[in-house]
Amino acid sequence: MRKNDLSVFEMEKDGFRLKLQKGIEQPTLMVPAQTAPTVQNGPPNPGATHPVSAPAETSHLRDIVSPMVGTFYRAGSPDAPPFVDVGKEVTEETVVCIIEAMKVMNEIKAETKGVIAEVVAENGKPVQFGQVLYRVR
Amino acid sequence: MFEKVLIANRGEIALRVIRACRELGIRTLAIYSEADVDSLHVQLADESICIGAPPSSESYLKIDRIMSAAEVGDVDAIHPGYGFLAENAHFAEVCESCNIHFIGPPARAMRAMGDKNLARQFARKAGVPVTPGSDGVVTEETEALKVAKKVGYPVMIKAVAGGGGRGMRVAHNDASFLPAFHAARMEADKAFGNSDVYIEKLIINPHHIEFQIVADKHGHVVHLGERDCSIQRRNQKVIEECPSPLMTDGLRKKMGHASVKLAQSVGYQNAGTMEFLVDNSGHFYFMEMNTRIQVEHTITEEVYGCDLVKEQIRIAAGERLSPHVARASPRLHAIQCRINAEDPAKNFQSSPGRIAFYYAPGGRGIRVDSHAYTGYVVPPYYDSLIAKLIAVGASRRSTIDRMRRALDEYYITGIKTTVGFHGAIMRSMEFREGKYDTGFVERLMNSDKFELIATPGRLHE
Repeated sequence: MRKNDLSVFEMEKDGFRLKLQKGIEQPTLMVPAQTAPTVQNGPPNPGATHPVSAPAETSHLRDIVSPMVGTFYRAGSPDAPPFVDVGKEVTEETVVCIIEAMKVMNEIKAETKGVIAEVVAENGKPVQFGQVLYRVR
Repeated sequence: MFEKVLIANRGEIALRVIRACRELGIRTLAIYSEADVDSLHVQLADESICIGAPPSSESYLKIDRIMSAAEVGDVDAIHPGYGFLAENAHFAEVCESCNIHFIGPPARAMRAMGDKNLARQFARKAGVPVTPGSDGVVTEETEALKVAKKVGYPVMIKAVAGGGGRGMRVAHNDASFLPAFHAARMEADKAFGNSDVYIEKLIINPHHIEFQIVADKHGHVVHLGERDCSIQRRNQKVIEECPSPLMTDGLRKKMGHASVKLAQSVGYQNAGTMEFLVDNSGHFYFMEMNTRIQVEHTITEEVYGCDLVKEQIRIAAGERLSPHVARASPRLHAIQCRINAEDPAKNFQSSPGRIAFYYAPGGRGIRVDSHAYTGYVVPPYYDSLIAKLIAVGASRRSTIDRMRRALDEYYITGIKTTVGFHGAIMRSMEFREGKYDTGFVERLMNSDKFELIATPGRLHE
C-alpha cells in the first residue's frame, strides 16, 4: 500500500470483506457481508449523508457518538490544540470536542473511560445525531 | 423559488413533499430518527441527516435539532408536512427568526385558528354558523354543568389544543357529565400539554364536510370545494371522498363562501382546511380549522386538477396563486382509502413489523401515495398509516368499482393491514348509495353481513 501511496484498501470475496486503512495499528476484518436479497432494505442512496464510519466490531473499542446535529470541531478555537488525540486518556468528564449548533458552541464530554484509539469525525464537518466521533479503547 | 427545502416529517407525506420539490427542481434534505434510517423518503432525498432516537419527542419534535440540520444543510425553507410541528406556531416563528421560510401559514394565523375555542369566536365574528356550545374555555365544574344543561344533551367536551380525535368525551346526561369532563381534561393534558376544554352540542351522526382553502401572500383566497370525511372510526378518518355525495351546488356555494370569508378574516396564507358538521337538514356548523396540508389533500388534487403541495411551495416563495388553481373546478370523482398497519380482526390493534411482500395496485385512475416497499419494517413509534390508495373516475359509481378492484389487487403481507376492511366498505350498500354519516363504520362492523375481504390470487405465495 505504501509503495502505491494508498491510504485505504478494500476487498470483497466469498462473502467476506477486508479493509485496510493507513494510520490504524491493526487491519480490521469486517463481519461477513450480507447475502440477503437486494430488496432487503430498500434502494441504496449514494448521495445520502449517512455516517461513513465502519462498524466497531472489534469488541474492545467503544464509540463516542454525537448527541446532536451540528458542526464538529476538535479544538476550542482555530489556533488552540485539539482537545484530544489518539493515545490520550479520557474520563467521563473529559471534553473531547465542540459541536456547534445555531451559533452555540457545545462542549461534548467523553462519557466513558479509556484511551482514544481513533479520531473518526472530520474537523469542521457537519455531524448528525448518533454519528461516531471517536473510538475509545 | 427555493433552492433547497428541509422536510420536517416522515413517512408518506415526506415522500409527497420530496416528489413536489423534485418536480420543481428543488434540492431536498430529509431529517430522520434512527428508526427511519431505511425509510424511502430518506433514501430518495438528495441529502439526509439523522436527528435523534426513535421516539418523536427525541427526534421529529426536536425543534433545536431540526434547525441545526437546516443550518448545516443551508436550506431556504422547511415543509412541516402534517402532524408533528405542522401546527406549532412557535416552530413557525423559530424558522422565520432564522431566515428560513416556513411552508405554511404565518404564526399569528396559526395561533388564531389553532386554538379551537378562539377559532369558533373568529367564526362567529365572520358570521359563520358554529355548533352551539360554551362561549369559551370552561375550567370549573359548576360552570361546565350549567353550559351543558343550557346547550342541551348530548354534549361533547373537547380539548382546545386537540386533534386526531383525542381529548374528546361525550356526555348524555348530568350523571355522566362530570366524569367525562375530568377524563377529557386529563387526556388533553397528557396528549397536548394543555387541559383546557370547551363544550359543544353533539350533533348525532353528523356528516363531516371540510373545505380546502388556498391563499397566497398577496391577499388572494380561494376554496377548492369540499371533501366528505364522514367515514370515521373512533373519530379518526378512514375514507374520504370528493365531491360529497350530499352536496348541492347551493350548499357548496354557501359553505365555500363562509370558508373563504373566515380565512380572510384571520389573514390566512397557504393551504388550510375548514371543517364543518352538517346535519340531515343541510344546516352546517363550523367546527375547526386545520392550518396545514392534510392527509386527504390528494382527492382534491385529483378532482380539481392541481398539485397542492407545489402550490404551497410556490406561495411560500412569494408567488401569486397559480391561475389553474384560482380558476379550478371539479371535473371528476375521487375516493381515498387510508391503509393502516392495523389488524381489523383484533380491534384494529397496531401491526408494526417487516412487510414480507408488497405490491400496490395500478392501472387507470389509481394513485398510490405510500412509502412502503417489500422488506420495509414499519416502526412501532409513529402513526400506523402506511399507504393512501386513491381511485379517480368520471362518476361516483365507477370510482367505487375502481377502488374495489384496486383493493382486490393490493398485496401487503407480513403485517396486518386495513385493506380487507376497506374492501368490505366498498361492497356495503349504505356506502354505495352515498347515504352514510359518521355512525356508518360502527353500524357496518356490528352488522351480520360484515366480512373482511381477503386479497384473492396467489401472487404473494
